Amino acid sequence: MQSGISSIILIGGLFLLSSCKKFLEETPNNALPTNKSITDAATARAAIIGAYNSVQDYYAASYPTLGTITADNVIFYGTLSQYLQLDQNAIPADNVTTVAAYQNIYKAINSANSAIAYVPEVTDPLLSAAEKNKLLGEAYFIRALGYFDLGRGWGGVQLQLQPTTNLSAARGIKRSTLQQTYDQVLNDLIKAEDLLPEDASTRNRAQKSTARALRARLHLYRKEWAEADKYASQVITNPKYALVTPFKAFFTTPFGTTESVFELTFSANDKNSFWNLWYPSSAGGQYTLKPSASFVSKINDAAIGGSRNSLIAGTGDNVYGVLYNTSATSTDPSYIIRIAELYLVRAEARAQLEDLNGALSDLNRIRNRAGVADSKAATKGDLLQAIENENSIEFAFEAHRWFDLVRTERVDDILGITNKNYWVFPLPYSDILSDPDAQQNDGY
Amino acid sequence: MYRNRHVTALPKPFLFITTFLFVTIAVYAQTTIPVKGTIRETGTQKPVAGVSVKAKTANIGTSTDENGQFSLLVPSNDILLITAIGHTAVEQPVNGQQLIDVTIATTSNALGEVVVVGYGAQSKKSLVSAVATVKADEIKNKPVASFDQQLQGRVAGVQISANTGIPGDGIFFRIRGTTSINAGNDPLYVIDGVFINNQSLQKITTQGQANNPLADINPADIESISVLKDASATAIYGARAANGVILITTKRGQYNTLPKVNANAYYGSSWAPELWDLVTGPEHATIINEAWINDGKPASTRPFRLKSEGGRGLPEEQPTYDRLHDIFRTGNLQNYDLSVSGGNDKTRYYIGGGYNKQQAILRTNDFQRASFKFNLDQQINSKVRIGSSNLLSRSYRTNARVGDGPQGGILQAALHTPTYLPKFNDDGTYAKWAGFDNLDVLIKYTDMHSTSIRYIGNMYGEADLLRNLKFRTSWSIDYNDYNEYEYWNSLTNRGSASKGLATSSISKNAIWITEQTLSYKAKPGQHSLGVLVGNSVQGAVETVTSAQGTNFPNDSYKQIASAATTTSSSSSAGNRQVSVFGRLEYNYGGKYFAEFNVRGDASSKFGTNKQWGYFPSVGLAWLASEESFIRDVNAISTLKLRANIGITGNQNGIGNFASRNLWNGGANYLDNPGTVPQQLGNTGLSWETTRQTNLGIDLGLLKDHISIEFNLYKKYTSDLLLSLPLPVTTGFSSISSNAGEISNKGFELGISTTNISNRQFTWTTSFNIAHNINKIEKLDIPVDASYSAERMIQGYSMHSFYVYNQLYVDPQTGDAVYEDYVKDGKITADDRQIAGNAQPKYFGGLNNNLRYKGFDFSVFFNFQFGNKIFNNNRFFHESGGTRDDRRAINKNQLNRWQKPGDITEVPRITTLGTNYTLSPVSRFIEDGSFIRLSTLTLGYTLPKKLTTKIHTNSIRIYASGANWWLWKKYQGPDPEINVTSDPNVQGYDLGTPPQPRTIQFGINISL
Repeated sequence: MQSGISSIILIGGLFLLSSCKKFLEETPNNALPTNKSITDAATARAAIIGAYNSVQDYYAASYPTLGTITADNVIFYGTLSQYLQLDQNAIPADNVTTVAAYQNIYKAINSANSAIAYVPEVTDPLLSAAEKNKLLGEAYFIRALGYFDLGRGWGGVQLQLQPTTNLSAARGIKRSTLQQTYDQVLNDLIKAEDLLPEDASTRNRAQKSTARALRARLHLYRKEWAEADKYASQVITNPKYALVTPFKAFFTTPFGTTESVFELTFSANDKNSFWNLWYPSSAGGQYTLKPSASFVSKINDAAIGGSRNSLIAGTGDNVYGVLYNTSATSTDPSYIIRIAELYLVRAEARAQLEDLNGALSDLNRIRNRAGVADSKAATKGDLLQAIENENSIEFAFEAHRWFDLVRTERVDDILGITNKNYWVFPLPYSDILSDPDAQQNDGY
Repeated sequence: MYRNRHVTALPKPFLFITTFLFVTIAVYAQTTIPVKGTIRETGTQKPVAGVSVKAKTANIGTSTDENGQFSLLVPSNDILLITAIGHTAVEQPVNGQQLIDVTIATTSNALGEVVVVGYGAQSKKSLVSAVATVKADEIKNKPVASFDQQLQGRVAGVQISANTGIPGDGIFFRIRGTTSINAGNDPLYVIDGVFINNQSLQKITTQGQANNPLADINPADIESISVLKDASATAIYGARAANGVILITTKRGQYNTLPKVNANAYYGSSWAPELWDLVTGPEHATIINEAWINDGKPASTRPFRLKSEGGRGLPEEQPTYDRLHDIFRTGNLQNYDLSVSGGNDKTRYYIGGGYNKQQAILRTNDFQRASFKFNLDQQINSKVRIGSSNLLSRSYRTNARVGDGPQGGILQAALHTPTYLPKFNDDGTYAKWAGFDNLDVLIKYTDMHSTSIRYIGNMYGEADLLRNLKFRTSWSIDYNDYNEYEYWNSLTNRGSASKGLATSSISKNAIWITEQTLSYKAKPGQHSLGVLVGNSVQGAVETVTSAQGTNFPNDSYKQIASAATTTSSSSSAGNRQVSVFGRLEYNYGGKYFAEFNVRGDASSKFGTNKQWGYFPSVGLAWLASEESFIRDVNAISTLKLRANIGITGNQNGIGNFASRNLWNGGANYLDNPGTVPQQLGNTGLSWETTRQTNLGIDLGLLKDHISIEFNLYKKYTSDLLLSLPLPVTTGFSSISSNAGEISNKGFELGISTTNISNRQFTWTTSFNIAHNINKIEKLDIPVDASYSAERMIQGYSMHSFYVYNQLYVDPQTGDAVYEDYVKDGKITADDRQIAGNAQPKYFGGLNNNLRYKGFDFSVFFNFQFGNKIFNNNRFFHESGGTRDDRRAINKNQLNRWQKPGDITEVPRITTLGTNYTLSPVSRFIEDGSFIRLSTLTLGYTLPKKLTTKIHTNSIRIYASGANWWLWKKYQGPDPEINVTSDPNVQGYDLGTPPQPRTIQFGINISL
C-alpha cells in the first residue's frame, strides 16, 4: 500500500513536470495574435470592417457633439459636466468627450495603418487584385478622414503612419502643422480616389466619390477655392446623388437616401443611441443636447428654416432635436457627408472665386429644397454670409457649425470667444503625461 | 466536586495530533455505561468547548460541545483522560458514575491555542508569524449577508468597509493596506482547502456596485476564520498571497458523539437612521430665481414667476414632494439554521441547512440564501482516512440600479429629482424629470434579479506512510452558476423607447484544484522538526452567455422569447497554474522557533519570458517566558518575540491573455464581422512582488488576564501591475506592464483582558487598533481612478483626492476663489492638487462581553479616523442653479453668499464663471471619521433545570441590534459608503444607501 502510493506520487510528479509547459499553454478562442491578424482574404476584410467600426465609435456621438454644442444652435441641458464645459467653451484637458473622440480617431487610424501595411502582403487567391485595391483605398480614406477630423478639431497633430506593434513605434513623433496634417489628408485622399471603386448605390462605405467629396471639403478648409469647386462638381454631377424632398426624408427610414454621400449605418446588432442625448426625459432621453432658443425661432421662421423645421419636435420650453430619432431601434446613421454640403461647398468656393451667379444658384438649390425662397444676397460679402447662415441651419445637428466658424475665423463674432487658443480643443491631459512628443495646445 | 489528579501536560501539538488521529481503537467488550458531564474552567466556571475526553484503557474518546458537555459510552472502571489546549490535563476515574462534571485549570500560557495555517495547523505557541483567529461564534450577531463583513473591526490591521447598505453587495477589504492599483487588493480566500472565487460574476450592471460572491457561504457553517497577515504565514500561497490569506474552517462532527441538533432562528427589522436633507419646493425656486438675477438676466423673465406670465409659478406656490421616504422602507430580516452533527469511532459528520432573507432598506433590493452543508470524515483503517467537505447554496437577489447613472437609477431618481416637481403629469401619466425615471415606476416595475448556485467541494485522502510521515491528496472544485435577468418595461427610461428591454446573462465559473502533500514530524530530544512538501495544479474557466431582447408585445411578456429583436453573445476564457511548495519548521526546547516557507508558481497568465515565480519566507521566534529568568517574574505570564521576512506575489488582476499582442473580434460594421487591434502585448508581464517584514511581540500579564499582541510591519510592493497609458498615437490607450512601487508600513495592537471572572460574573474586553501609512513610491505617470476626483500620484497615498482647491468665498463678490497652484495666473486642469485621502489613519474595534448567571451581554464598537470622503452628492445638490430643474438642491445650498460681508464657503449662486462649474473641488471633501456602535446583544440562557424538563440541552434567547449609534462629521447619512466596487475608488459618495439600523430577536436551541 505504502509503496503503491509512493510510486503514484513519483510517477504523477514526473508526469506533471514533463507536461507542465504544455499544461500552461492556454489559447485564446476569441482573438488572434497580431502577427496573424491580416493574413488572408477573410482577415483582410475583417480588418477594414473593424476600421469602419472604429470610425463609428467616434462619429456616433462624440464628434457630432463636439461640432454642435460648442456653437450657437445647441445648448447644454443635462447634468454631466463634460457637456457643460463644451457648451461654455471652457474645456479642460481632461474633458471626457474630447478625450474620447481624440483617442477613438487614433484607434481608427491604427486600424487603417495596419491595413495599409499588411493588406498588400496578403497572397490569397480569394482576394482579387480589385478587392485588394478596394480594401486599401478604404483604409487610405479612413486615415484621411481621421486626420482631417483631428486637424479641424485640434490643429496640426502627430502623424502616425505605421501600425503599432510594439512600444518603440510610438516614440519620436512630433506634432505637425495644420498644413502638414492636411497635406497628409490630401495624399491619402489621392491614393484612395485612385484605388477605390465606384458603383451606383454604396453610401456607407468609401467610394471614389466619397474621397472626392471629402477632398472638396478639405480644399474648402484650405481656401483652395478652384479645387473645392472642381471636386464638389465631380460629386454633384454624379447621378448617384440628389437632394431629397421632403427634407426629413434623409433622416427617416429607410436611410441611405440619394442625399447621402457618406453615412455610417447602424443596425439592431450595432446600435447608435445618440438620440438619447437629444430626447427629453418624457421620451426616454437625457436631453443633454437641446436646440437653443435662437435656433428654434430661426428654424421655425418659414423664410429661414422652411421644411427643415422637421429637425425639431416638441413645444414651448420642451423643444428637442429629432435628427437622431430611432428611439425604438437605435439605428440612426452618422451623417458624415450629404450632397447638400457639396452644393454649399461649391457655392462658397464660387463666391470666393467671384462667380456670384454660380454661388447663388447652388445656395438656392439648398434653400428651395427646404421650401425657402431664393436668397436675395447680391454682393460677395452678403453671399458668403448667406452661405454661412445656410450651413448653420442645414447642418444644425451635424458636425459642422463649430468647425465652419473656426475655419472662417468667425468664432469671435458669433460666439464671442476672443482668445484664439480656444478655437481648438485641448489634447488629452493624460496624453501630455504619457507622450513626451505630445505638445499641448497653447492656453490649455 | 471531585478531586482531580493533575498530570504533566503533553506537548500541545503532539496532543492535538494524537487526539485527531488515534481515537479509533475498538471498544472493549466489558461493562460499559453511558457517561455524561460538563467540563468547566476552574474559577470562571465557564463551560469549555472542544475538550478531549478519552477513556484511557478503552482508548475511545470524544470532545465537548460548545456548552462544554460530553457524552460517552465507557467501561465503568475506566479512567477519563481530559485534555484541552491551554489547560492542565486531568485524569478522572469513572467509578461507575454516569454524571461526571470536571473543572480544569487554565495553564499560564495562552499560546496553547491551535491555529489553522496554510496546509496545516500549528499551536499558537509555535507561530513565528502574525495570524489572527476569529471564532465564527464571536461575530455572528451582525446581520449581514457574508462572513467577511462580519469581521469588520475584529482583527487588527484588517480594514473593512461596506460600500453600501444593501445586503449581499461587495465590500472593501484590506489586510495591511493597499498594495496594488490594478491587480486587486482582496486577500486569497481558502475554505477547507479550496481556493474560492471572490470576484463578482455579475454582468448586468447595477451601476457601479457588484454582488459579493462570499455571501453564498452561510456564516453559520463556519467554525473559525484565520487571517494570515505577514509573509511568513502567507508565502506558502505564493503568487496570490500578497494581500493576505483568509482560511475558513467549516464545522465538522466529532467522533464518538451522540447526534447533536442545533437550531437557531432570528427575526428582525432594519431601517435608515438618517437620510439626506433636501430643500423644499419654494426654496428650490428661490435659488433658481436668484441664479437668474445673478446671471444678469431680466427679472421679468425669471423662471419662477406667475404662470399667467409664462413662468413656472411663484416660488411660494411650489409644492414639495418627499421621494426619499418613498424609496426607503423598514426591511425585514430573518434567518434560520439547523444542523446535526456527531460521529462514531470511525465516522464523523456535520449536516447543516440554512435560510436567510434580508430586505434592504432601499426598496426592491432583497437577498435570500438557502444553503446546505455536508462534511464527512471516515477512517478506513488505522492508517488511511478519507473525507469530504461540501457546500451547496442558492443565493437569490432582487436588485436595482442603485449606483451612479440616471437611467433606471432608483436612488438617484429619489435623491436627485428636484423636490418641487410632481410625480404625475396633468393628464395622470407618470412624470419623468431630468433624465431620471419616475420613482413610482421604478418602485413598482424594477425587475432585476439574479440567482447564484454555488458548489464548493473537496475530497481528500490521507495516509500515514511511515510513523510521522503523512501523505495527503486533495481534489477540490468551486463551481458557480450565476444567472441574471432584467426586464425594463415600457414605462421605464430604459425600456420606453425600445418597447421593453430584457437582458439575460448566464456566467459559469469553475475553479478546480488538486494538491498533494507529504508531511513529516519528528521530535528527537529537545529538537522538534516538521517538514511539508507539496504540489498543486489548478485551472479556472469562465463562460458567459448573454442575450438581449427589445420590442415586446406588451409588458406582460418579459422573456426574450417574446421579443421581436434579439441579440446574443457568448465567450469563454480560462487560465492554469502549476505550483510547488514546502515548509520547514524547527524548534528547540519549545523556546526557539524557526520556520522556512517557499512556493514556486507558474501561470498561463504570465508572459512567456517570466513564467515561474518563487516566493520564500523565513521567520524566527523566541518564547522568552519559557526562560527561567523570565518565568521568575510573576507579572509576566507570556512573552514571545517574533520576526520574519518574506516575499509574496499578487496576480489577481492580470487578464488571462494580457501578455500577448492581440486583435479582437466583435468590431462589426454593416453586420459584417470586423476585427481591431485590441492590445499591445508584454512578454515580460508577471506578478506583483511584495516584500514584507514583521516584528511582533506577544505579551501575557497577570496569568494572561491581560494579553497583548503587537505587530510592526513593512510591506514594499514592486513590479506593480499597471495599465500604463500609451501615447494616443499608438491607437491603444494602455499596456499592461510591471512598473510602479507601493509601500505600506504600520502597526497593529490588540489587547484582550479578563476584567472580572468568577462563577457568577465574567467581563472580558478586547480592543484593537491599527495604523497604516501607504505611499506610492514609484509611478512614472499619474493614474486617474475611474472617478476622477481620485488620482494616483508618485509620492502620495493611494485613494488621494485630486481637486481644485477652493480657498474661500470672497466676502465682497461672493465668488469662489481657487488656488492657482501652478501660479500661471489662470485656473486650469494643472491647478488640481492632492487634498487628503480616503484611507483612515487609525481604525479598529472595541468589544466588551459580560456574563452574569444566565445573562450575556456584548457591545461592540468599530471606528476609523482620518479618512476623507468626496461628497459628490453635494456637487450635484449644490450646483448654484447651473442644473436648474435637473437636479435636487440640498439644504447646505441655502448657506450661499447673498450680500457683501457674508462669510460662507458656499459661493454666490450663478451659472456663469467657475463658482459651480469647476469639478472636482475641495469644498466637497469631508472628514469621514466615525465611531459606530456596530452590534449590541443581550441574551439569556434558560436555567438548566428548565431546559432538561423539556428535553433540550440548552435554550438561549436574545435581542441584538446593529448600528444603533454613529458618531460622524460627514454631512451625508453614513460615512461608510462608496459609489463603486472598483477597488481603486474609495470614499467617493454618489447616491449610496446608508447602513441600516437593525434589531433582531433570536433563539438558539441545542438538543
